[in-house]
Amino acid sequence: MTLASDDSKPVLELRDVWLRIPVNTREVRTLKKALIRSVTGGALRKTSKGTEIEALRGITCTIHHGERVGLIGHNGAGKSTFLRLISGIYVATTGFFRASCPVYPMIQKSFITGPELSGLQAVKGHYLLMHGHLRGFPGFLQEVVEFSELGDFIHLPMKGYSEGMSARLLFALLTSSSHDCLALDEGFGSGDARFYERAQQRLEQFITTAGTLILASHSDGLLKQFCKRGLVFSQGQILFDGPIDESLTYYHEHFC
Amino acid sequence: MSTFAKALRFAWDSRRAWWFTATARTRERFARTVLGSFWLGLSNLLSIAVLALVYGTVFKVADFKSYVVYLGTGLVIWNTIAAAVQSAPNLFRTNAGNIKNTNINPIFYSLEEWAFQAQTFLQSFGLVVLALMLFQPTLPVHLITSGILPLLNLLLFIYWFPLLLCLLGAQYEDFFQLVPVILQLIFLLSPILYKKEALGFLAWTADLNPLYPVLNNLRHALIQGDLRISQALIILLLNLLGILSSVRLLVRQRRILPFQV
Repeated sequence: MTLASDDSKPVLELRDVWLRIPVNTREVRTLKKALIRSVTGGALRKTSKGTEIEALRGITCTIHHGERVGLIGHNGAGKSTFLRLISGIYVATTGFFRASCPVYPMIQKSFITGPELSGLQAVKGHYLLMHGHLRGFPGFLQEVVEFSELGDFIHLPMKGYSEGMSARLLFALLTSSSHDCLALDEGFGSGDARFYERAQQRLEQFITTAGTLILASHSDGLLKQFCKRGLVFSQGQILFDGPIDESLTYYHEHFC
Repeated sequence: MSTFAKALRFAWDSRRAWWFTATARTRERFARTVLGSFWLGLSNLLSIAVLALVYGTVFKVADFKSYVVYLGTGLVIWNTIAAAVQSAPNLFRTNAGNIKNTNINPIFYSLEEWAFQAQTFLQSFGLVVLALMLFQPTLPVHLITSGILPLLNLLLFIYWFPLLLCLLGAQYEDFFQLVPVILQLIFLLSPILYKKEALGFLAWTADLNPLYPVLNNLRHALIQGDLRISQALIILLLNLLGILSSVRLLVRQRRILPFQV
């Protein structure tokens, strides 16, 4: 079921997509199947090449431009894996997947530069990666520094930053540009309590400017606020696809 | 567009970003030192001075001046190859967080590491050549007249060879344990501290050594001012094949890379 109008263009198309993750480590090999299933949500499968986890199983759905889709499910149900797949971090093992515009993953937890470099260098590296040039960088930097409240600390190596400072800088950096299609994980951090309120406002503004949104969350309030459509995940499968209210009702009836 | 072409396109489009982050790493490394990145050349010069003195005496070298140049140029090139190869096992592990959580093409990390190694080499090589001019003033002239192609070959080699090792090592972890051992053996078996003739009837072993021709082609051009063009062209061809193969392997392995790091 699709809630977008028929004439809107599909941004993401998935048909019978499977993602199988190879399990290579000795530690995991020694774990019981049931434990692995409880951790990953996927199903364990033995092949001639070794053990694999079926992290996504036969996913079929189409997401149109402008849709706001919430991903619902318990931990390990496949929500984050789905976000990683549609944003190109993971590649489908089998099935058809097409993204007609770049999907920006907001699940990043670290900078592209190492901790020995300064916040300024991290911002510059990020800007160069996004734009390929430094035109407009001073304004971008000023905005990031002001919002993250780092002040002159921006010139110091990030290894000296507190967790809150790093989280604030990363949050300010990633929410400074708008994106056509956004894959957002609720766990995306935003620093200390004082910063939280401003971060929430900025996040709301940021989400509103995104063309298409796919949001993974455990919060009914957040999902209802931003999404119109819901996909309920369990053990790597989509069990329900419909309006957000019906999806949440389905989830609570079957899993809570 | 194929995934291979997309990777190359991304490598080109993001060139300013990976060059910048590599430069920032180089600068930061010596941020609190008085001499800054001069240390890159100085540490090499110190090794060259000590080794030339010790091995020059051990080998009872007749022409000490030419031995210092031979050892110095060989050592600075070897140190670069060794540093690039030794960094290979950590190439993707140090970027594991980003590989698992961002859709940045992993070719970015390989190019950033290459840029870091290339910048380190060019700085130390420049200072070493400058110092060795005391013994052989023609070195910079030879570099310009005969050394450009061998230098390019070295820079290409330190991109694809470590990347290939890294990708093979991600598949077969035991491989990484072998790298430092083999590297040490290659160093001892290569005519770097001693002349090839000193190997006697075993001189042919130097030609089987995959790292030595890259080193020797450049060193010969620098010292003799003579470009062994056929050897340089063969190395160039192998380098191009190496780059194609390693990038293709990277593209193929990308689907499992987030689960391997």
